[in-house]
Amino acid sequence: MTTLLTPAAAPGAATKTSRPPARRTTRDLSLVVIVTVVSLILAAIVGLPLLRIFSVAFAPEGWEVVSSMLTSPVNRRILWNTVQLGVLVAVIGTAVGFVLAYAQVRLKFRGKRILHLIALIPIVSPPFAIATATISLFGRNGLITNGLLGIQSDIYGLNGLTMVLVISFFPVAYMNLKGMLESLDPSLDEASANLGASKLRTFLTVTVPMLIPGIAGSVLLLFVESISDLGNPLVLGGDYTVLASRAYIAITGEYSVASGAAYSVVLLVPALSVFLIQRYWVGRKNVVTVTGKPTGTTQLITSPVLRIPALAVTFLTCGLVVLLYLTVLGGGFVKILGVNNEFTWSHFQFVLSGIGSDAMFTTTTLALIATPIAGLLGMLIAWLVVRKLKRTAGLMDFVGMLGLAVPGTVIGIGYAIAFNTPTVIAGRQWFPAVAGGSAMFGGAVAIIMVFVARSLPSGQRSGISALGQISPAIDEASTSLGASAATTFRRVTLPLIRPALLAGLTYAFARSMTTLSPIIFITTPQTKIMTSQILAEVDAGRFGNAFAYCSILILIVLGVIGLLNLALLHPSFRGVGRR
Amino acid sequence: MTHDQTRETTMTDTSSSPTGARVSTGTPGALNLRAIRKTYGDDRKVAPAVKDIDLDIHPGEFVTLLGPSGCGKTTTLRMIAGFEIPTSGELRLDGELINQMAPNHRPMAMVFQSYALFPHLSVFDNVAYGLKLKKLPASQIKSEVEAALSSMNLQPYAARAPHQLSGGQQQRVALARALVMRPKVLLFDEPLSNLDAKLRVHMRREIRRLQRDLGITTIFVTHDQDEAMTMSDRIVVMNVGVIEQVDTPEEIYRHPSSVFVADFIGRANFLNVTVGHLTTDAATIHVLGREWVVPRHPDVTSTGPVTLLVRPESVRVRATAPGAGTGGGEGTIVSSMFYGESIEYDVRTDAGTLVVAVADPHEEQIFSPGDIVNVEFEQERAWLLPGTPRTD
Repeated sequence: MTTLLTPAAAPGAATKTSRPPARRTTRDLSLVVIVTVVSLILAAIVGLPLLRIFSVAFAPEGWEVVSSMLTSPVNRRILWNTVQLGVLVAVIGTAVGFVLAYAQVRLKFRGKRILHLIALIPIVSPPFAIATATISLFGRNGLITNGLLGIQSDIYGLNGLTMVLVISFFPVAYMNLKGMLESLDPSLDEASANLGASKLRTFLTVTVPMLIPGIAGSVLLLFVESISDLGNPLVLGGDYTVLASRAYIAITGEYSVASGAAYSVVLLVPALSVFLIQRYWVGRKNVVTVTGKPTGTTQLITSPVLRIPALAVTFLTCGLVVLLYLTVLGGGFVKILGVNNEFTWSHFQFVLSGIGSDAMFTTTTLALIATPIAGLLGMLIAWLVVRKLKRTAGLMDFVGMLGLAVPGTVIGIGYAIAFNTPTVIAGRQWFPAVAGGSAMFGGAVAIIMVFVARSLPSGQRSGISALGQISPAIDEASTSLGASAATTFRRVTLPLIRPALLAGLTYAFARSMTTLSPIIFITTPQTKIMTSQILAEVDAGRFGNAFAYCSILILIVLGVIGLLNLALLHPSFRGVGRR
Repeated sequence: MTHDQTRETTMTDTSSSPTGARVSTGTPGALNLRAIRKTYGDDRKVAPAVKDIDLDIHPGEFVTLLGPSGCGKTTTLRMIAGFEIPTSGELRLDGELINQMAPNHRPMAMVFQSYALFPHLSVFDNVAYGLKLKKLPASQIKSEVEAALSSMNLQPYAARAPHQLSGGQQQRVALARALVMRPKVLLFDEPLSNLDAKLRVHMRREIRRLQRDLGITTIFVTHDQDEAMTMSDRIVVMNVGVIEQVDTPEEIYRHPSSVFVADFIGRANFLNVTVGHLTTDAATIHVLGREWVVPRHPDVTSTGPVTLLVRPESVRVRATAPGAGTGGGEGTIVSSMFYGESIEYDVRTDAGTLVVAVADPHEEQIFSPGDIVNVEFEQERAWLLPGTPRTD
């Protein structure tokens, strides 16, 4: 081998006459196609409705309402109500969630597993189940308040709303904080103790700082969830009006799209700022490293000072959840719960073979169509964000998450404005009207789009965290062996993030079946959706029918989730385990 | 061209050999890098990761990119593989400009540091992955994968999942998966760094043997000088985005082109010397109390700063004869370390503290701290370099 001190000056074979530049393959075409398609879908299901609602809210008619938000005493009251409710639910819900999570992770007691499952029930439940059961149990003629205790309580208003929303949303805080407590590395506690810190000092200087981002995250999330909620304020609010219910009244009662748009856009301000805080501040402060393998065993707490109150809260909360859902189940089988407790099939007949069966069938079908789209879209976005996009990754992630960050009321009104008429951009019709009774398929397309927009973010989140655990070299190995971007996604990425996909699909279905606030604005006589049917029954005072609807809906959700798990986690599907 | 054709014939022969257990490859490729530069971000604000490097890799050659972390070796490899696009310059494979060619269309295969085996696929399916994408008939895929597996002694593990294999076996699967594609160029990104020391030595031989048998052009990135020295036809030593030297392992070791290379490859004593007379390829210098005639780098001048490189094994220490005069060639043993096959001393001299390695030491070569010894070196093994060593 000749020694070349200067690496240039090529000998022999190296200096062939160069051929014309390669014609093929300057870029991976499949990636361009995927990015374009995903961007267009996001623009249609999130971008366009938001743009349209803004343009209406900031047009003169809407702007009048927006600008009177702080000047008009009525509107100021509504704004204050919304914030007050949000803060109360966020703080109490997070506290309850934390205590339950703490008990699960750090205490030893009987029935741990069962209590864990009970704490998750409210997640897969339709919006009115808890509110209706609460009225039946604790309302003016409540089984417990009036029947057992003989008191005339008023459940309508802030107190009732807070209680119902806390029960509805604490599971979110519970899940987040449980994951965080579990991932706390016990060796950090040991290191602190080893350096001479007392238990209290360790807790204050090591444990708490690491939990603060999680707690802050939960508070923010619950705040947004509760100010965005529409169903419960409608049923339980009484005179206590919040922004979401005010927007609903504007549209359905006053037929004023402009003021509806205006009220809901105001709702967007706290919702989006919380989302941004969560994303750029809490996200960055998050110091807990999730490695998936704890390096020691967590010390269980035995001190009764901590044990007794923690267990009391846990059992009381779970007991209340059980009681409420038993009420839902039982309420469907009696004529009027608490008034006429005579057994009847009529409510279930109404749902299963009467008008209700129509809604049941339509809702399930539309949710089943939306679920795979949302799950796959979520995984695709996650993959693009983590692996493929560079400068635009943050933007795509942000837009994808908007479906969840933006309150359902806003999305629903946005859809009604944007899609009740054909979409015309730059003088050209892009697609016909997809929402409203006169649209094709009776507005079903818009409902599927809403389902997808609302449920893809959770798949996207779990996909992003799953991909973070997989080395990019795996993708590159596939590319190096000749696979295009699309092939790599289909044959390598998707099989590897199967658990995340399953989580995404599960959530997408549950969310689609139980979502109300956006649906209420675009449901049509041809496409009846169960949640809005339940609202109608509750409004009319036919609680029995509502209970039957809720029970059936819960059964459908659990059944489909069970089937999904069986299908996707079946050994013959799973191939070999991932490591 | 004739060169390539001969190789192709030999390849066809080996692949149709009666054993059938041999992996065959395509024609080895020639790679040319011309003024290749890679900058992440703004060229005016950020220093380039790779600064205008030129390199020619001949068909069938084993070239190692060696350097400390951040020297640009991995970036260079990833540009060759197509995972990074050069900011400027030309990258040619067999004369064809491939700067913009998508990585999945390059006739190259890469073996990754982490092996990057697909965890959801069996060993067989991992190796078959690329062939399936080529849409080869199932029977051909089967026979080629089996040949590849058996050439790595992996047949018994074909049905296993990657995580059920040891590190060395996973490494061999990764190698089989790359070789079965018959690439023109085989790329390695620090493939041995996750193996334990013994296995690493074994795999070095294994990879080198396969590469020789198949005659496949190979680019190997490592920061381990032993790997580079033992495997390569040529080593490319890189530092902060530039190529310091391209040469055979022996030339790199004996005649490094800079103090950096001398310091990075092997262990080195650097002595401050004064230059006397210069000839075409040697120089007279004064150090350790006498004149020496040492080979020199062409860039050495009698006025500029110079450094004398003496490898520890080229230094000789002897017990001083009683009553001998002090001519400046004495040193004091500061410390000693016994390695079994050798012993190492730190010896303080008036030219600085030298590391001295004595292979297979005899009794009279064993000294204790404080002993005074006579210090000499093999002058034809020394090398006079321009520049001065970093002082840190």
